[in-house]
Amino acid sequence: MTITPTSGAAAAERGPAFELPPELTIDTDIATRVMTEFIRGQLEQAGFERALLGLSGGIDSALVAYLTAAAIGPERLLCVSMPYRTSSSASLSDAAAVVAALGCAHETVDISPVVDGYFGSNGAVGAGGSEASPLRRGNFMARARMAVLFDRSVTWRGLVVGTGNKTETLIGYTTLFGDSASAFNPIGDLYKSQVRQLAAAIGVPDAILRKAPSADLWPDQTDEAEGGFSYPVLDRILFWRVDKRLPVDEVAALGFDQALVERVDGMVAAAEFKRQVPPIAKLGPRTTGIDYLYPRRRPGSARR
Amino acid sequence: MRFGSRVGCYARLVQSIRIALGQIAPRLGALGANLERHRELIAEARAKGADLVVFPELGLTGYQLQDLAAEVAMRLDDPRLSALAAATADLSVVVSFVEESADHRLFIAAALIEDREIRHVHRKLFLPTYGLFDERRFFAAGDVLRATPSRLGPGVGLAVCEDFWHLGVPQLLALDGAQILINVSSSPGRDLAATNEVGLGTAASWRTLIRTYAQLTTSFVVFCNRVGVDESISFWGGSEVIAPSGAAVFSAPLYDEGLFVTEINAGDVRRERVALPVLRDERPELQLRELNRIVAERAGLEADSTAEPGALPGGDVAADDGKGDPIGFRSVAR
Repeated sequence: MTITPTSGAAAAERGPAFELPPELTIDTDIATRVMTEFIRGQLEQAGFERALLGLSGGIDSALVAYLTAAAIGPERLLCVSMPYRTSSSASLSDAAAVVAALGCAHETVDISPVVDGYFGSNGAVGAGGSEASPLRRGNFMARARMAVLFDRSVTWRGLVVGTGNKTETLIGYTTLFGDSASAFNPIGDLYKSQVRQLAAAIGVPDAILRKAPSADLWPDQTDEAEGGFSYPVLDRILFWRVDKRLPVDEVAALGFDQALVERVDGMVAAAEFKRQVPPIAKLGPRTTGIDYLYPRRRPGSARR
Repeated sequence: MRFGSRVGCYARLVQSIRIALGQIAPRLGALGANLERHRELIAEARAKGADLVVFPELGLTGYQLQDLAAEVAMRLDDPRLSALAAATADLSVVVSFVEESADHRLFIAAALIEDREIRHVHRKLFLPTYGLFDERRFFAAGDVLRATPSRLGPGVGLAVCEDFWHLGVPQLLALDGAQILINVSSSPGRDLAATNEVGLGTAASWRTLIRTYAQLTTSFVVFCNRVGVDESISFWGGSEVIAPSGAAVFSAPLYDEGLFVTEINAGDVRRERVALPVLRDERPELQLRELNRIVAERAGLEADSTAEPGALPGGDVAADDGKGDPIGFRSVAR
């Protein structure tokens, strides 16, 4: 099954924007209803009226921006673009298109000085040495963006909305305490294919729907080239394995390469730690997170 | 003399029982590795002359399984269990694992395996789901409590951890013929304290419980608790064997992994029960009568003798008699 984006005849002429596996198709009206209520509820319980998020120019953060604007009004949303000097210019222009469409507040914070100040640049050797691997650099960038967002959350007086999707969360294609950090996340239970379906339905610009997903940590990086999979295939494997609890061989019997299913399984298992709060050594009679258990927000905990 | 030597052989078996406590640190979810560890320690116990080898609760799987429970579950006809049983010739071994029933319920089970056969399976009766525990979310509770005869001579009663936080369990096992009560545990250590004998509230509680049960049932209590760490929780070991007098025969160290071998004289049960015949004097028919009454009262089938006047059937507090009369069903109750 394929979805044709709603944004104009020119887009339709170029063919479907993406492949949507039938088993992953969702009711976008209900999903939108649930997520906008969720965003309002989270802010209300915490005593906040405003929200902010890192707007990369990619589909995940674009969708969250649309959902948040729909939930609380664009005037209460701040989108922050945080490019590094090698970030693609398309990222910035796509982010600008989202901001223009929504009419929300927008800031650009260049994280190059932070990252280069640490790793060094132009021959200068920083604290981490100039030979830092792309992985180290990418993780550091994600954490620099997290630091910016949580700092701006104070001045904007809003909560940081998470933009990670279920696919990347499950396979661990996230930076711990980086892009995975947020006050709450409305789209963390949507596979990438479902993010695309919803983004198309809610009116995210066609250019964003069509471009290859990328962490944009170095030029021409794409998720699918780096991971060696396509999102529709990966999403389907995860769906049958995780949501439907099929064993590996039964998933393979649906027509997937057994080695790929096993590899995905390994990625999911290896990333369990990224999805959980670090364990605290149990010593006393009541330990936070273990047997001191309260809702995150309860009477008395709202900011005002 | 042939007759005499047979008696002697029988007497040796009955009177002296060497017990090996496998105070191990199972690897969470690693069934194969834990099976291998069990086989190693069974062989070591055999070499040390053990008659009975006891492993802790979920020793074959680890404790904090959560969604792994279904992945490590075994039916009683699982070939991996049969292979383990094959190592129990002339031995009694207690192992614990996730048992899957034919209707796909998952139980925390302890099995007495003797001479290559599963002699008895006890499914954990009480699943703690409070404090740091969440067992009822992942497991079904057992419905059967039975003592079992054993090649060791005296009858054996199996229980798993929380089962021993319920008074009726050791008592029923003793009334049913058990003289050796075996509790296998994965007890998470907590309540760190300098104010009790062993510096750990959990250990102090357990030490009190098993001494009390041994004395009140005039039975041996064998307590085997694991060590190691699952996620946030550390298991404190401290396995013990308590005599029918309530005195400790053996106490393993806290937190140290090891196979600890000790010996009991099964004749102690007879001596204690003759000298202190409290088990003889138990009144199961009295308990049964009163329990039937209490159950009927709780179910609202009989008037509750201790409830407030005007309480609904099965309840014990009468709704407020004030002016507002906010509770709509009161008039129905009357």
